[in-house]
Order: sequence, then structure tokens, then C-alpha cells
Amino acid sequence: MKFNNYAAGRWVARLGGLLVTMSLVGCGVVPKPFVDPHLRDVDASQFKKPDPIHPVQLLFDFKTKGVENPKATDVLKARVADQVAKSGLFGAISEAPVQGGALLTITVDHVAVDGSDGMGKAFASGLTFGLVGTAVTDGYIADGNYVAPGASTPIVKEVRHAIHTMIGNHEPPPGAVASPSLEEAATTMLHQVVSHLLNDISHDPAFR
Amino acid sequence: MTHSSGFSVARTAHIALVAGLGAMLLGCASQMVQPTATPSTVQSLRTANLTSARAGTFALAPGKDGGLDKSVSMRASSLEPRTGSFSQDLRDRIVAELKASGLYDDASSAVIDAQLTESSVDTGISQGNARLAARFSVTRDGKRVFEKELVVESVWESSFIGAVAIPAAKRGYEGLYPALANKLFADPDFRAALAR
Repeated sequence: MKFNNYAAGRWVARLGGLLVTMSLVGCGVVPKPFVDPHLRDVDASQFKKPDPIHPVQLLFDFKTKGVENPKATDVLKARVADQVAKSGLFGAISEAPVQGGALLTITVDHVAVDGSDGMGKAFASGLTFGLVGTAVTDGYIADGNYVAPGASTPIVKEVRHAIHTMIGNHEPPPGAVASPSLEEAATTMLHQVVSHLLNDISHDPAFR
Repeated sequence: MTHSSGFSVARTAHIALVAGLGAMLLGCASQMVQPTATPSTVQSLRTANLTSARAGTFALAPGKDGGLDKSVSMRASSLEPRTGSFSQDLRDRIVAELKASGLYDDASSAVIDAQLTESSVDTGISQGNARLAARFSVTRDGKRVFEKELVVESVWESSFIGAVAIPAAKRGYEGLYPALANKLFADPDFRAALAR
């Protein structure tokens, strides 16, 4: 499976550039990201390991409001593949079909939660040098779909997560976990939703 | 297909908006990404009971401006094909979906061809839109068994701010490729043409 690990590094670099860019476009206030507290990582030791394990075809997809986002998919798929490989739930992992026909698909859809014009509010925060704060919540709906070898009915699981971004003088939601950067917040969110999907799938009675 | 973009600075900073933003503000061109199979399309194709096929000739439709196949402009920025032409990028997308579904065979007598007929983006001010269209055909054992032009369109909330509008336009346009592939594979006539 040829996933592009280099892309993750480029992503970090671009994110740094993005923060600089944001100051240039007039915001003037650095956003402070917080990962929603309701979903934490599930350690792989808690997964219910099958015996024997089987190879699996893995497909990952990132969407923005229900629409395919090939660029984000390309950047993030290596991280998801790495996490699935370390889960201990499967044998070899491939983007191509595998012997036995097992297929695991993971889709993360980035959705708006607050439904507000966040850009307008953010500009207000910038123009007041952060005295007027803004909170924006981004939601993520992650779906896991696993077809076991020889099975026709998939195991389907869903988890939801959120990242809250504070711009200017605004308190985060209670219990929200501060991240040093937006990139780390997104990484944490993705790892947590995938760990929950894998855990839920592994404990499904039909999992093998 | 409807595609509305996030408008907040926070969303701008999220994964979906990250790619290429710095370059875009400098007026640079960026490239399409290498296609990977779409889960929903593969799930659908795996149960469709189709015969294996191969991709044949994908090219710009006759009479169309050559620039249509080479670049789409988005204000001061542009998006260019990864392979040198959008029609070849579309071919790669079709191949990626078929391979992941176990339905691609280089030696198959069932051949999918396509002519790119539309490729456009309008970043807009309050609303952006993009369109992609191709005339697909399927030949089996030398006989044409399917021919149809398929169109997909994406509409999203845009902005007068380029830092928001351009990434949204790129997402909106690039997302049309998996959408067009999915539309082809879901077409009942296409499925009849490739039925086992």
C-alpha cells in the first residue's frame, strides 16, 4: 500500500503558512483550537482481536459537507492506514482487493455545526483585536463500514466528534482539550474517531 | 450535487482548506491530486455483478478549445491536471475506482472511452459553481453498447475573500471527478452494458 507519508509533513508546513496567511488577510488574532472532550482515544489493547486475522482492503475518504474532498483525502489517508495497521485487527492492508474480499472503508465528513457566518464573526474579532471573541465549532461524522471475508452484510458504525476554535476573547466549552495548533487538533480528532470506529467494529458479533 | 463551503476562519484553518492556500494567495497554479478509490463507489461496484473492463481513449471532445483540457482558472490562481490533461485525470479516476473494485482488466474486451465536453469553474462572489461533463462510451467485443454524455455540477457558498473562495473552488471542482465516475458507474444503461 503506497501511502504518501511525505504529504503529512507538507501539510504541517502548509498549516504554518496558513496561520501567517490568516494574519495577512486581516484577522489579526490567532485561532485557539480545542478538541471536544466527549470522545477520547480507545487504546488498541481494548480492541477485540480476531483469530485468525485476515488481510483487508482499506479505503479512506474525507468529505466536506457531504462532497468528496480529494485533496484532504490524499493528505490524511496515510495516517488512517498507519493507525489501522497498528490496530492488530487485520493482516496485510491494501488499497487493492484482497484474498477473502474483506473491505474496510472509513469516511469522515466535515460538517458545519453552528451554521453561522463564522468569517464575519472572525473579522469582528480581528477588528476589535480580539476583545470581541468568536467560537466556531466544526463537526466531523465518521463512518466505518466493514465487510468480513465471505460476508455480504457490512458492519456499519458511526461516531461524531468536534473541534471548537476560539478566536479572540472567548471561553472554550467546559472540558474541551486545548491543542497547540490546528494541525494537532485535527490529528487528535482523526485518531480518536478512527480508534472508536475500530473498537466498535471489533466488538460487533459479526466481526471476524 | 450541492457543495457549500465553510466560511469561518476556523474552518479555513481546517484540513479541508489547508491545501495550497499559501500558494494560491501568491497567484500560483496547483495540481489535481492522484485519485484514490471512493468507498461508496467501490461498495456499489462490488455488488453490481459487472464484467471487468479497461479504460481506452480519454481525450478532449472534437471541436472543443484545447485550453479546456489544460487548466481552470480561479481568480488569480489556477488548477491544472496532474497528468497534463483533465481527460487523462478523468481516466485515472475511472481506473482507480475499477481497480479497487476488482473490475479492471487490461486484457478485457470491454473498453470504456470518454471525451471531455465541459470543464469549468466560477468562483463567484457569494456563490461558486463548477461543471464537468464527458461523453462516455462502452465497446464490448468491438460493438458499441453504451454511449451517453454525463454532467455533474457543484455549487457552494463563495466569498469576495480569495483566501476563502479559491480553496472552496478547488474543492468544488476537484470533487467533480469522483462524482462523475460515480454517476457513470451508477447509470443503469452503463451497468446493463457491462452486465455479466
